[in-house]
Amino acid sequence: MDSPTLTRRTFVKTGGALIVTLSLPAWAVRGAAAAAAGNSLDPTVLASWLEIRADGTVVVRTGRAEMGVGMSAYYAQMVAEELDVRPESIQLVMGHTDETPDGGWSADFLTGAENLRKVAAYTRGALLGLAAERLGAPESALAVTDGVVSGGGGRVSYVELVAGQQLELTIPITGDLASVSADGTNIDNAFGLNVSGDPALKPVRDYKVIGRDFPMPGIPDQVTGRTVWIGDVRLPDMLHARMVRPATLGSTLVSVPELDRSRFPNAQIVTKNNLVAVVSPDEWEAVKAARAVQAETRWSSWEGLPGSDDVTAAYRTNTEPMAAGDADAVGAALAGAARTLEVTYSQQYVKHAPIGPYVAVADVGSDGTVTVHTHSANTQALRAHIAMMLETTTDKVIVRWHEGAGQYGRASLGGDGAEADAVILSQLLGKPVRVQWTLREDLAWSGASPGWVADLKAGLDAQGKLVAIQTDWYAPHQNDARMLGALLAGMPTIQPLAFVFPASFGFQPSPGGVGGDPPYAIPHQLHRAYSMQSLGQDAPSGVGLRGNIMRTPGHRQNVFALESLVNEAAAAAGADPIQYRMDHEPFPRLADLLQKTAAAAEWSPRPSPGPHARRTGSAPVSGRGIATVMRFGACWVGIAEVEVTPGSGQVRVTRFTLGVDPGKIINPRHLRRNMEGGIMMGLGEALKEEVVFDRGKVTSDNWRRYPIPTMADMPEIRLVQTSRDDAGFGGGGEAANTVPAPAIAAAVFDAIGVQPRRTPISAAYVRQLIEQA
Amino acid sequence: MASITLTVNGATRTVEAAADAPLLYVLRNQLGLSGPKLGCEMAQCGACAVLADGEEIRSCVTRAANVAGRSIVTIEGLAAVWAEQRGLDATEAAATLHPIQQAWIDVQVPQCGYCQSGMMIAAADLLERNPTPTEADIREAFSNTPPSPHLCRCGMYPAIIEAVQRAARAMAD
Repeated sequence: MDSPTLTRRTFVKTGGALIVTLSLPAWAVRGAAAAAAGNSLDPTVLASWLEIRADGTVVVRTGRAEMGVGMSAYYAQMVAEELDVRPESIQLVMGHTDETPDGGWSADFLTGAENLRKVAAYTRGALLGLAAERLGAPESALAVTDGVVSGGGGRVSYVELVAGQQLELTIPITGDLASVSADGTNIDNAFGLNVSGDPALKPVRDYKVIGRDFPMPGIPDQVTGRTVWIGDVRLPDMLHARMVRPATLGSTLVSVPELDRSRFPNAQIVTKNNLVAVVSPDEWEAVKAARAVQAETRWSSWEGLPGSDDVTAAYRTNTEPMAAGDADAVGAALAGAARTLEVTYSQQYVKHAPIGPYVAVADVGSDGTVTVHTHSANTQALRAHIAMMLETTTDKVIVRWHEGAGQYGRASLGGDGAEADAVILSQLLGKPVRVQWTLREDLAWSGASPGWVADLKAGLDAQGKLVAIQTDWYAPHQNDARMLGALLAGMPTIQPLAFVFPASFGFQPSPGGVGGDPPYAIPHQLHRAYSMQSLGQDAPSGVGLRGNIMRTPGHRQNVFALESLVNEAAAAAGADPIQYRMDHEPFPRLADLLQKTAAAAEWSPRPSPGPHARRTGSAPVSGRGIATVMRFGACWVGIAEVEVTPGSGQVRVTRFTLGVDPGKIINPRHLRRNMEGGIMMGLGEALKEEVVFDRGKVTSDNWRRYPIPTMADMPEIRLVQTSRDDAGFGGGGEAANTVPAPAIAAAVFDAIGVQPRRTPISAAYVRQLIEQA
Repeated sequence: MASITLTVNGATRTVEAAADAPLLYVLRNQLGLSGPKLGCEMAQCGACAVLADGEEIRSCVTRAANVAGRSIVTIEGLAAVWAEQRGLDATEAAATLHPIQQAWIDVQVPQCGYCQSGMMIAAADLLERNPTPTEADIREAFSNTPPSPHLCRCGMYPAIIEAVQRAARAMAD
């Protein structure tokens, strides 16, 4: 399974491509010293990024990986477009820290793509220089199609140009690979290296590959069973492990029983501080032995959590916010408003909830070298975490990436899954160890997207327009990247500061990066964020309910409150909610998308609630609602149509129309997949999902207690895609999940005339709203 | 340990396994068939689904010893099932996927793809019973067939419906 560690020298040898020495442009020099640390490939060397093989295959290496969003198609399209080769000729190497140059956060496709586009453009430029010499024609007279250069009456392929040579092209680099910050609170350079300079890129009007459907290259192997998933990694002499977790998120170990050797002859209990595991060469024996040990292991009791039914008060402990905006001006505007709204919104903790629980394999050698097999979305950051835990240097750690169950952002900070467990056990046992978490463990012990509560005030003028908003957000922070294995074993791990993840980054100026400013012209705004450490972090075990970022962090929270507020203001003003948004001078691309999405949904203007709204009866009543978000250069508009049964409180989404303008669309079909998947995930959070916990532990630990959407929940889906050639590339993979919850809440209001202000909008909650109305 | 003889993807295989070993563990660890996936281990998600005599079962809660004598098929064996049904010769068979697999590729169903082995098995089970399913039939089969719905956290349900209907058309040709 393990291939030898490739140094740059042997790598170039195995690469077998050619050399052309180019003089460095002036802007390249500053980056030339920033070589990769340790055993990653030298990013200043072209062959670390890209090789042209004799058969015409173009090998492309990136530290980013395929997380299920389609990047393996998009990267191939990006490189093929700039290089003028067929996208089918691209062969991607992704994620492995020792076989890629750059690192970075897999979800951050836009910077990863920028790197590879530039590398391709530099390469194309160098190849055209060679071709000009070979063909005796100026570069301006050359054209490239499918890797063949023609001009001056001749033709030569890239392969012929580079055959038998080594291409020595220096790639200008800035930045560095991920490392733990000096104060141990953060991962520096989590976004990886950047390719610098400004090579000429192909004009959008000349695109042939970008903008068309291109398949994800891994799918044929997936559907035939040939993919080696992270769960399929097996090393010689490997032991299988199952973890024995504490009784609560705060408990410490009291006693471990003896293992019954007659029942489990090949199994072994391993403990380090509060970390307990059972290992065996036979996986099923490890499972059964771990269950037996779990039943007999004694832990201290702990009741340090507030319980999920009554949790919002616990968020309001911080009295010193990060603030942005002019408090005096907002106070004056609210005082002078013709009408004010004061509302409180909240959401419960939710889970990433992959179908496959965490799994990892680690091999800690007697010489201190460590190889970790993982499905992490940030392998370089994981490398830094592991090195910190073992008090060693990153050059001793190799992280190999494999396909795995989608995890929707939970490993973007590097961990935190089974990797620390596997490394600790392998170090203790001197053998490779595979740690497979159970679903129950995954739903109860992995980090979760934290719940929050927010108090919002809005001031409306005499015409009903918004003149001021004030928002106060209370939540545990969502970047608690402390490694569970390290915490339980008493080993070093990162100690993040409690801060609110910037809530509206990426698209428009964000006042201090807190709260979130809606994409409308509202003259006076004040946003304050009150953050805190993870609930229960002060427990004896030090674990608690760790907060972790999840798909669309920041906007996943604030869009529910802000868009609900705009909908409530529109209703208060007696205005149609789309027209109300248009009256607040939305960002022009958003205005355009509002119109297109409304047309697709056959929206007819009127205020909410609807003319047939009612709160009684066992016949369903219909409603419709809207929400928008702007993030990472993309605009999104969602329109929900629902049926609410007043008697039961049941809400069913009958149709969801989603529009997106992500700038230039790279791959319409896989953008569609991200839109459909985002609708389903957002619908689940709107109606069903909630992490339930008592005073000590998470109890929503299987799919019946933590229900996610099924095919039966799927509404009719209508999609609108708007591609623009003049707006660059925006984020199309992520943010669809933010709009269903506020749009569905607005649709419920439209149907019954009472506004849901928290999620999940369960039947019981709707009944409660009706009874209190 | 017990000696268990299984028929898997058309081949007879004998393994030494614990009498209570789940079929999933035997397939994955002893027979090298990693198509079926470990998910919930309590028959709540469908990731581990395989066919037994053409019917879907959940291999995570089925003892291997209990399916001795039944014909087990994983996604690694789907193409051979189709080749046999169609009487393809060896050359044709080697170049032909099961229409369900081909539809999953053509429609580009997977995002992460982890649940899709189980989804394709559920599709094979459905199309065996109902060669021309409506959208309502597909929704019913994937949501309300015991022991649990087939779960896709990426939310690829629209693509699955499209692919099942595409496969149905291909199989009817």
